Amino acid sequence: MSVTTSDAPIIKPGQTYDSIGDTLTGIVLRRHGWGRWWLAMAVAVALLGLLVVSLGFLFLYGTAIWGNNIPVTWALDIVSYDWWIGIACGGVLVSGVFLLLGVEWRGALNRIAEAMALIAAAAAAVYPIIHLGRPWFFYWNLPYPNSFLLWPQFRSPLYWDAIDIMSFLGLAAGLFYVGLLPDIASLRDRAYERARVEGRDNSLTAQLYGIAALGWRGSIVHWHRWRHAYRGLAVLGVLVVVALQTGASVMFAGTVEPGWHDTMLPVTYLAGAVFAGVGMLSVLTVIIRHVFALEALITERHVGVLACLLLMLCAANIYCELATDFTTLLGGDPADIAALGRRAGGPVAWSYWMLVTAGFLPALLFLIPSFRARPGILAWVGGAAAAAIWGDHYMLIVATLQHDYLPSAAQATHITFFEWTTFAGSTGLFLFLLLLFMRLLPVVSMLGERGLVTRTGAGPDGSPPWPAHDAPLWGVAGEFADAHAMVAAARVLRRDPRYRIDAYSPVPNLAAASALGMGAGHANWAWAAGVAGGAAMFGMCMYATGYDYVFDIGGRPRFSWPAFLVPTASFACLCAGMAVVAAMLVQNRFPRLNHPAFNIPGICRATQDRFFVVAHARIEGDFDPAPAERAFAGLDAPALTVTRVPR
Amino acid sequence: MRQLFAPGADAILRLALLVVSVGALVFLVVVGAVANSDYVYGVGVAPKQPVPFSHKHHSGELGLDCRYCHTSVTHLANAGMPPTYTCMTCHSQIWTGAPMLAPVRDSLANNQPLQWSRVNHIPEYVYFNHALHVTKGIGCSSCHGAITSMQMTARAKSFQMQFCITCHRNPAANVRTPDQVWNMNWTPPADQATKGPELVAQYHIRNAAQLTDCSICHR
Repeated sequence: MSVTTSDAPIIKPGQTYDSIGDTLTGIVLRRHGWGRWWLAMAVAVALLGLLVVSLGFLFLYGTAIWGNNIPVTWALDIVSYDWWIGIACGGVLVSGVFLLLGVEWRGALNRIAEAMALIAAAAAAVYPIIHLGRPWFFYWNLPYPNSFLLWPQFRSPLYWDAIDIMSFLGLAAGLFYVGLLPDIASLRDRAYERARVEGRDNSLTAQLYGIAALGWRGSIVHWHRWRHAYRGLAVLGVLVVVALQTGASVMFAGTVEPGWHDTMLPVTYLAGAVFAGVGMLSVLTVIIRHVFALEALITERHVGVLACLLLMLCAANIYCELATDFTTLLGGDPADIAALGRRAGGPVAWSYWMLVTAGFLPALLFLIPSFRARPGILAWVGGAAAAAIWGDHYMLIVATLQHDYLPSAAQATHITFFEWTTFAGSTGLFLFLLLLFMRLLPVVSMLGERGLVTRTGAGPDGSPPWPAHDAPLWGVAGEFADAHAMVAAARVLRRDPRYRIDAYSPVPNLAAASALGMGAGHANWAWAAGVAGGAAMFGMCMYATGYDYVFDIGGRPRFSWPAFLVPTASFACLCAGMAVVAAMLVQNRFPRLNHPAFNIPGICRATQDRFFVVAHARIEGDFDPAPAERAFAGLDAPALTVTRVPR
Repeated sequence: MRQLFAPGADAILRLALLVVSVGALVFLVVVGAVANSDYVYGVGVAPKQPVPFSHKHHSGELGLDCRYCHTSVTHLANAGMPPTYTCMTCHSQIWTGAPMLAPVRDSLANNQPLQWSRVNHIPEYVYFNHALHVTKGIGCSSCHGAITSMQMTARAKSFQMQFCITCHRNPAANVRTPDQVWNMNWTPPADQATKGPELVAQYHIRNAAQLTDCSICHR
C-alpha cells in the first residue's frame, strides 16, 4: 500500500505551525468533552484502590500470600517488574534511537513513547520494593551511613537493580521533561491568551504551566542548549537501557540454574523488552489518535512505521528464541535440555505457547503490506506482543526455577489471587498516570510535528503596538512571519557592536544559532560528571568490598570488579544526565519567570507561529533605540511590526 | 503583552526551590540523628523497678562482687539474675523490717520471683554469650558502663550493631587482663597498643575477618 512507502506525506497536507499548536494545546485547554476521560479515570482509580488493598494485605501477611515458594523464589513479582521495566526501556530506546538517527516521523510518536517509558518505570518501581520481605527497610539496600557499620552487598544483583532503576527513572524523567519544556511554554502562552480574550487579567492555569515551563521564551540560545541537552539525554537513555536489560539477564546468568546461561540471553532480553515496548506504544498511539481525533498528525504512515517495527522486532525475537533452543540442543547439557522441554511441555507450557501464538504469529501478519496501515490491527497485534513478552518472562523465570537439577527440590507454583490483584493494581497505576498525562500535557510533540511543515500561520498581521509608556527601554523588537526573515534580520543587527541580539522562534533554528555566533555544545560537563560519577561508584564498591568490609561469599575474590560494572555504568549515565540537564538550566538562567522579553508585544506567538529579533543594550542602561529601528527599517524582508520594549 | 509573573516571582520561586531542597536534606539528617540518638534508645534512663536496688551501694560501696549475684556470667550465655534467696542471705539479717524491701519478703513468702524491668536489651536474633566475653578479657563496664556508680541501674550504651562491630573489628583496643575484667572504672592503660595484641593472642581471640562473620552473632 502506498501510504507506508517513504514518499507518502508524513502528516496530512495543509498543516501549519498555527494549526498544529491549535490542535494540540486545544485538547489540553478545552473545558468540555472529558466524559470518557472521567469514566476511564474511575476505572484507573478503582484499580489503584485494588493495589492499595493488595499491598495492605501484603504488608500485613508477608509474601506468603503470593505463590512464591522454595524453589520458585521469583514468581509474578519479578515477572511483572521485568515486564514493566522492559516496556519502559522500549519507550526510551525507540525515542532515543530515532532522535539520534534524525528520523522525521519520530515527532508524532516520541512524546507518547517517553511518557510511556516514565509511567511504566513508575509501575515497575513498585515491585522491587514490595517484593522484599520487609519492604519498609528497602533503604537498607542503598549505601548510606548506617548504624550497622555495613555496606550493601555490591556483588548482588539486588543492588544493581536498585541503582539501575534509579538511573533509569532519572533519565526517563529528564528525557520526558526536557522534551516537553517548549510545549509547556506553548500551553502557558495559549492559556494566557485565552484568559485575556475572556477578559481576565491573569490565569492560574497559565501561571502553573508558566512555572512548569521555567520561563522558556523560545530564544534561539535556549533552543541551542536545549537541543544539546535533549540529544545528550537520548544517548545516555539508550546506554542505560542496554545496561539495565543486559544487567537483568546477568542476574539470571549469575545463578546456577539450568536454562539461564545462554550467551544470547542479554540480546534476547533486550529484544523482548523493545518488542513489548513498541507493542504497548502501538496500542497507546492508536488509542490516543482515535480519542483525540489526531488522524491528521498521526497518519497511516506512522501506523505503518510501527507495524514495520513490530514485524522487525518479532523477527528478532523469533531468531533469539530459535537460536537459544538450537544451542541448547546442540550443547547437549541434559539439565538445559530438560529445562527447554519443561518450557514447551511442562506445567507452565501455556506461557511458552502464549509467546508463540500471541507474540510470534500475529506480528507476521505485517508481512502482507496491506495490513500495515490499519490502526485497529496494529493495536491488537501490539497488545498481543506486549502480553506475549509477559508470558516469555513467566516462562523464563518459573519454568527453570520450579525444577532445577534435583528432582527432590522440584516444586510447582501457581498464581494466587493476590498476585493477580497486585498486577492489576500496577496496571491501575499505569493507567492513572497515563490519564493524567493525557489530560494535562500535549500528547504529541508540537516541535516534532512543526519540523515537518513549512507554513507558519494564517496571515501576516502583526501584533498591535505597545501603548505609550514611560518605563525605561530594554530593547527594540521586530516580529517576522518566517524564519528566513528572522535570520536575515539577526545577521544585519548583529553588525552593530552596541547591541546584544537575541531571536525567538517556535522551533530550533541552526542558521539563526550560527548567525548569533553560538558554538558547539558543552558535552564536557556531561563527560566530566559521567566519569566522576562512574569513578565514585566503582571506587566505593572497590573500597567497601576490598578494604572496609571484606566479606568472603562463596570464595569470590576480594576485588570482584566485573560485578561492579553494571551499577558503575548506569550511575555514570545518571550523573552525566543530571549534568546535562543542570548545564541546560544554568546556562539558560532557568527558572526565569519574569523577563523583559515577555514585554514584547505578541511574544506569546513565539511559541506558536511567529519569529522575533530583539536588539538590546550590550552595556546596561546605555540603550539608544534609533540605530536599531533604522536597521529594522532597512531590511530586505521587513518586519511585520517593530516596537520599543520597556524593561 | 503583560508579564504573567511579577518581578518578585523569580526570587520567590528560587527561594522556594532552595528551601525545599535544603529542607529535604535537613529533614533526612535530623531524622537520622534523632533515630540514632541516645534519647530514642533510652540511654541513661533508669526504668522503674519493684525494689529500688542500687548497684552503687551494694557493689560500689559495700564491695559485693558481680558474680555474687550474677552467678552464671563466667560459664553461661546468660549472666543470670539472682533469685530472692540471694537477697535474703543478707536481708534476712539486716534491714529485716524495711518497708522498701517488702516486695522482697513477699517474694520469698509467696515463692514468686521478683519481676524486674529489663534494662539492657538485644534482639532475639543476636546470640550474645556473657561467658565467652568475660573469660576472654572483655570487662563488664565495656558494655554496661560504670555500673558501680549507678544509684539506679540505667542503660549505658545503645546496643546498635555498630557498637558490637567496632569492637569485633579491633578487640585489641578493649581487651583486659583477667583481673581487670571486674573493674568498673577501667580505662585502657597507656601501653594498650602493645599490650592489647598480646592479650588477644593469649586469649586465642580470632582475627577481625572471622569475628565480623555474620554467623558469629546471627545463626
